Amino acid sequence: MNETLHAIVNAVLFKAQGPVLAYFMAVNGWYLVLLVSSLLELRRHMLLITDESRHLLLSSTLSPTISILAPAFNEEATIETSLRALLALQYPNLEVIVISDGSKDRTVQVLIERFDLVPVKTIYEQRIKTKPVRTLYRSSTYPALAVVDKENGGKADALNVGLSFARGELVCAMDADTLIEGDGLQRMVRPFLYATDVVATGGTIRVVNGSEVKHGRVVRASVPTHLLAGIQVVEYLRAFLFGRLGWNRLGGNIIISGAFGLFQREAVVNSGGYLHDTVGEDMELVLRLKRLSYENGGPGKIAFVPDPVAWTEVPESAKVLGRQRDRWHRGLADVLWRHRGMMFNPRYGVTGLFVFPYYLFIELLAPVIEVIGLAVLILGLAFGMLDWKFAALFYLTAYGLGTALTAFTLLLENISFNRYETFRDRALLFWWALVENLGYRQLTVYWRLRGLWKFVRGRKDWGVMERKGFRPVTAT
Amino acid sequence: MQFTLVNIVMMAEVGLLVFAVALFFVHGALLNFSNRRLARLSMAARESVAALINSGTVNLEELSALEEQPHDVQVVAFLEISRNVTGTGKERLRFIAEKIGVVDRAKKLCEHSRWTKRLRGTRILSRLDVPDPLVLKLLADPHPAVRAQAAEWAAVQPSPEVISAMLTLLADPATQARFAVQNALLRMGGTIAGPLTSFLETHTGRAAEAGLRVAESVAEPSFAPAAQRLSRDDDAGIRVAAAKLLGAIGDAPAAQRLIDMLRDGESRVRAAAANALGRMQYWAAGSLLSDCLRDPAWRVRKEAGLALRAIGAPGTLFLRRALKSDDRFAADMAQQVLDLPAAAAG
Repeated sequence: MNETLHAIVNAVLFKAQGPVLAYFMAVNGWYLVLLVSSLLELRRHMLLITDESRHLLLSSTLSPTISILAPAFNEEATIETSLRALLALQYPNLEVIVISDGSKDRTVQVLIERFDLVPVKTIYEQRIKTKPVRTLYRSSTYPALAVVDKENGGKADALNVGLSFARGELVCAMDADTLIEGDGLQRMVRPFLYATDVVATGGTIRVVNGSEVKHGRVVRASVPTHLLAGIQVVEYLRAFLFGRLGWNRLGGNIIISGAFGLFQREAVVNSGGYLHDTVGEDMELVLRLKRLSYENGGPGKIAFVPDPVAWTEVPESAKVLGRQRDRWHRGLADVLWRHRGMMFNPRYGVTGLFVFPYYLFIELLAPVIEVIGLAVLILGLAFGMLDWKFAALFYLTAYGLGTALTAFTLLLENISFNRYETFRDRALLFWWALVENLGYRQLTVYWRLRGLWKFVRGRKDWGVMERKGFRPVTAT
Repeated sequence: MQFTLVNIVMMAEVGLLVFAVALFFVHGALLNFSNRRLARLSMAARESVAALINSGTVNLEELSALEEQPHDVQVVAFLEISRNVTGTGKERLRFIAEKIGVVDRAKKLCEHSRWTKRLRGTRILSRLDVPDPLVLKLLADPHPAVRAQAAEWAAVQPSPEVISAMLTLLADPATQARFAVQNALLRMGGTIAGPLTSFLETHTGRAAEAGLRVAESVAEPSFAPAAQRLSRDDDAGIRVAAAKLLGAIGDAPAAQRLIDMLRDGESRVRAAAANALGRMQYWAAGSLLSDCLRDPAWRVRKEAGLALRAIGAPGTLFLRRALKSDDRFAADMAQQVLDLPAAAAG
């Protein structure tokens, strides 16, 4: 038995060393390309926005109308604060539609009481099939506010109902607990004003844990001292400032966070809206819009706005975080499977030839490759087939490269928006960047593998997200 | 050999890591230092500028104190204050900026070979509302961001040459510049009526569509002939924009043309025409709008229903009649419109 295992490990080690090295170099080489690309893109963006006077240009009657779609499920504790912050957004032509997705708590009652809602009838065209709407309310004090009370059907269904009621040329899909910066919409709408081929824009989402929040706005950004939240700050910075910004320049963005994204309403409705039977409905919609633009023509550019525009609370418990990451990975697998026809297909340009393979081989299969690598490494060492010094150096190389990449991303944040201003915050950021490879990363590999396994078994449940709530401003 | 290679890679990587970390912290420290310095100096500069604006006379001591400040600090102070002053305050701000050389330096930036510098210069002059013929050159700049910024600046100097250059930009291939120009023309108000009328009479395509959007907000009767002509354009987008303009002008020939447009082949044009007739509250079109409740396109039925409601009593009568229509779509739309609360229908 031992001999057989020995022979297998030997064969794998012998045959795999070439491909492993090639994979390692391809991944890191591609990261380097993304880093350079994001640096160039950020520089261009900063040059364009420095001292711009958005209040004149964007507070215009010509600005497109935006309908904010805020699905809410059992949000009675936070809905009032979140909604007041939304209604106070600095944008001229704004409509806010809250969709209570069959809330079982007092969400609708709270809204009726605090916003003077009255039931109304309205004319709307239901081009996307959804669960029935119970009542539509309008506010007698806030003309821009509408509330839809509907039967429970999930976030995708709630957004689809919102799409039917929305009157704006653009719709902003968000989570009810996302905190949008006061001028966030003015920043997000820029790509639509500056180009005709833009179908959707996404903005940077930041972690609100540890920061001070007042009236639904982040008044002071701080890096949390909590291990999981702290590491996620680094992860979010890397994902947005390095990943999405890098892809932006290469024309390969296919992800817009479900927490905050802006879409051309007509394009979304024509594409059929959000899908119900996937846990990755945000990415699926974006990829579908992109695919349709290649197939039928029309706008298909997905633009990323690097300005920090929205803040979200991340899980602080390993259990909840695990469920989230497992769901994200299942979503990714599902979306890539649904649109597998795009893979290496020149008809789909950059998306088919570069973005799709990247998401498949580098994002989706990374945990599988990492686990195989780790298993072979341990067995190789156990059977004395690997030089431990070489193995240690290889691990340190991978670890060091990852950390260097993160350090450069943190530097990008310094150079550009610099929201974490104090030495304490910078030191904490760097500390979390060092620590994330020692256990956390391995945990995420496990969660993502679990997600893949569930995908293979056809599981499509969301799991429950528990939130701690925002940190209010401390008295001074 | 392999081990040596790994050593080399390892050393390179350690070097990279140390470099990145050092850069991160050193840059952070420098940034903090520079931000604090800028905050301290710009507060002093702001106070000097504010004192000079408020006094109304040139205080040489304050002026020389301001002159001694670094250029970036001066610009920060002027740009910050420029947002909050208008009229005489703005004039004084401009005067002080000229005195201490901020304006001259900005003009030099506008001549720079790099577009980023030209953009910076244009932004400073634009925020200070400095009238200068340089704007004409910048409106023809090769970079769209500079053209867009120049358009914003041009809004405060509506000379015939500037308006003419702005109108030319309505056909700009860059959306950013087109949007900025439309917005700036709107801010210019009635002064653009004459040139825009001539422009609409002679242009078609994207430029005409952009011009129609501006014209709709100004809504001068002189636009009527052009609106009539463009309402027969081959492009449906232009016909929609023309219908909106006709609705905004609201005279009898406009209403007649809008009635004809209710039979357009494109549903969005029919919907725009119905909407415009409702906006005009043109009760004589009630019967035709009532026919539109049977239109195969949902949005035409909706706009026709809302237009009937906007017309008032005669329109409501048509809607009530439509409740008994043999066309269930027409009856359904009429019911929905009649169920609307007053505010939503308006």
